[in-house]
Amino acid sequence: MHNGICTVEKKISKRTYLMVSKKWDKIGSLMSCSVTYNFSKGDPEKVFGYLGKDLALEVLDEMLLIRNFEQRGEQAYQAGKVWGFYHAYIGQEAIQTAAVSALGKKGHLWATTYRCHALALLLGMTPKEGMCELYGKANGNAKGRGGSMHMYTENMFGGDGIVGGQWALGAGLAFSLKYKNEKGKIAITFGGDGSIAQGTFHETMNMAMLWKLPLMIVIENNQLGMGTQIHRAFCNLPLGENIAKSYGIKSFTVNGMDFCDCYAVFKEAYEWINKTGEPVIIEAVGYRFKGHSISDAANYRTKEELQKIMEEDPILIYANYLKAKNWISDSELEERKKMKKDEILETMKFADESKFPEITSLEEGVLVE
Amino acid sequence: MSSQEIDIREALRQAIDEEMTRDERVFILGEEVAEYDGAYKVTKGLWKKWGDKRVIDTPISESGFSGIAIGAAITGLRPIVEFMSFNFSFVAFDQIASRACKLHYMSGGRLKVPIVFRGPNGAAARVSCQHSHNVEPLYAHFPGLKVVAPSTAYDAKGLLKAAIRDDNPVLFLENELMYGMKEVIPTSEFLVPIGKGKILREGGDVTLISHSRMLLFCIEAADFFAKRGIQVEVIDLRTIKPLDVGLIASSVRKTGRAVVVEEGHKFAGIASEVATEIMEHCFDYLDAPIQRVCQMETPLPYSPPLEEWTIPNTKRIIKALEEVLVGK
Repeated sequence: MHNGICTVEKKISKRTYLMVSKKWDKIGSLMSCSVTYNFSKGDPEKVFGYLGKDLALEVLDEMLLIRNFEQRGEQAYQAGKVWGFYHAYIGQEAIQTAAVSALGKKGHLWATTYRCHALALLLGMTPKEGMCELYGKANGNAKGRGGSMHMYTENMFGGDGIVGGQWALGAGLAFSLKYKNEKGKIAITFGGDGSIAQGTFHETMNMAMLWKLPLMIVIENNQLGMGTQIHRAFCNLPLGENIAKSYGIKSFTVNGMDFCDCYAVFKEAYEWINKTGEPVIIEAVGYRFKGHSISDAANYRTKEELQKIMEEDPILIYANYLKAKNWISDSELEERKKMKKDEILETMKFADESKFPEITSLEEGVLVE
Repeated sequence: MSSQEIDIREALRQAIDEEMTRDERVFILGEEVAEYDGAYKVTKGLWKKWGDKRVIDTPISESGFSGIAIGAAITGLRPIVEFMSFNFSFVAFDQIASRACKLHYMSGGRLKVPIVFRGPNGAAARVSCQHSHNVEPLYAHFPGLKVVAPSTAYDAKGLLKAAIRDDNPVLFLENELMYGMKEVIPTSEFLVPIGKGKILREGGDVTLISHSRMLLFCIEAADFFAKRGIQVEVIDLRTIKPLDVGLIASSVRKTGRAVVVEEGHKFAGIASEVATEIMEHCFDYLDAPIQRVCQMETPLPYSPPLEEWTIPNTKRIIKALEEVLVGK
């Protein structure tokens, strides 16, 4: 609408996610919920026209890298080489991949939740750094002090382990940009639907709008706060639109499984922030394919439900766009998948051979000397 | 050298103003700090001088504005967060406990959090259960945080300036009842290093250790014993963390006896920590068991006689000193 590169046309599309769980069946209570989302749609012609073939294939590689990194990380976990809490982003890759490719890797400031492998990889953490952190090695991204939930890059400030903890911190990044008068730069904060129930989120929304902070608030609604479906946690759905109205903030809702839609919305939202100096709320509706964390057996959903959802795999949807444009063939796709798999296997070997931190380093770096 | 007689309130104001002049990354935010001139007038005149950008009134959202300040600190700014009372910091506990003090270590040294959380701590006059808690043991428990509690105008100014320049998060504890206490201090610039205690009064018979407002009672108790020919050495901790163990230990090794006074509760408090350090470093030098004088184990009540009894006072300190001086 504003940038002339991508058009975001607003369509009312009704989507009903069935959230049937065995537990609820048994007690004969609420079995499903229907939420009407007003999805903003991206125009694939314009999105891919802007990206071009080379960048579009790079995006595919990034999504494959994240998927492989997390699948192999999980494998290492099962083998007893990775420990603690491990939250996979699998199923949600389109959202952050689109955000980073729409806004650029440099300049802006980013923060996210404990589900942070993907964003760190997208913003420049090498797979080796990341894998070594998972393995608790001295050469890990945070010297083995943070683990899976705490990863960083030059312009990414975690990886916050407390649900909702990153919202105010992210607004602080935007505060800094405004204080230093760094025009054109914004802060982007991601958080899950569950964290919207935290008080600090609402305090932050109020101050972000009151103080006109250049902040993009991305609610990644995977429809589950751990094992609690959104309709059991929130009284007023959809989340993004309703919250935005309360604070007078501009909002978008987008299908988080579709890179193309996400890309267009991130571009559009950025233009809005730049033009008005005000924050924007984006609700990206999607689904995670794995449990909340690795120890979550996900008994709150049926196999059938998960299978149906997995038909909407964001990587599949994205690859189909590329195939339709004749930018990639089936065999080339398989080849790229294999390349990423090999790269990650090599990374695991590297992490395995890397050294644990020296015990003598334990008390180093508690304070800045 | 020219000097000025100012109260602690003015000393704090000067410290903030001087540091804002020195470094444009320094700003202050909190409830009523700007147009209202501060709930206790510590920031008086600063908004008029520096304007909206650097003296910022916030909504009543301690968690939100503390988190925003932490985000600003890790991206190169140097925020001062004012809590109208440190009792309100409990609403922001997650920001301090899970972010401010952990980000540097947790990020493998990638992030620094140069931030000061300041405001009045402990009991004021009859403000009852929810406005009187002493927070220092809670926060001193966390590695990665410095905790400072000055008792004079000189130390308040010098320590606050040092805290603002520190690259670590510093909790700066003031006391409402002490804001008006005056002292003659230099007009020229000075700093007081964080981590150093101070001997307020020298004496060779017994060591009396405390911080903040309780030192007023400690001095009265020391006067009481001086009249009887017993010299009490009074130590002002000034910084609670990192604790100046060297100063404490050298005094107790000299006197062989110690009483620790704390306005806050006895259980798992600063006095317990100081007493344990003395036990670990001076066991063979002790001539009597260490005594603690602390607040009783109840929320702080409103009614005057109850409030006066639960907070340590000169009488209770004298009694504790008498007990450790038995046999002297």
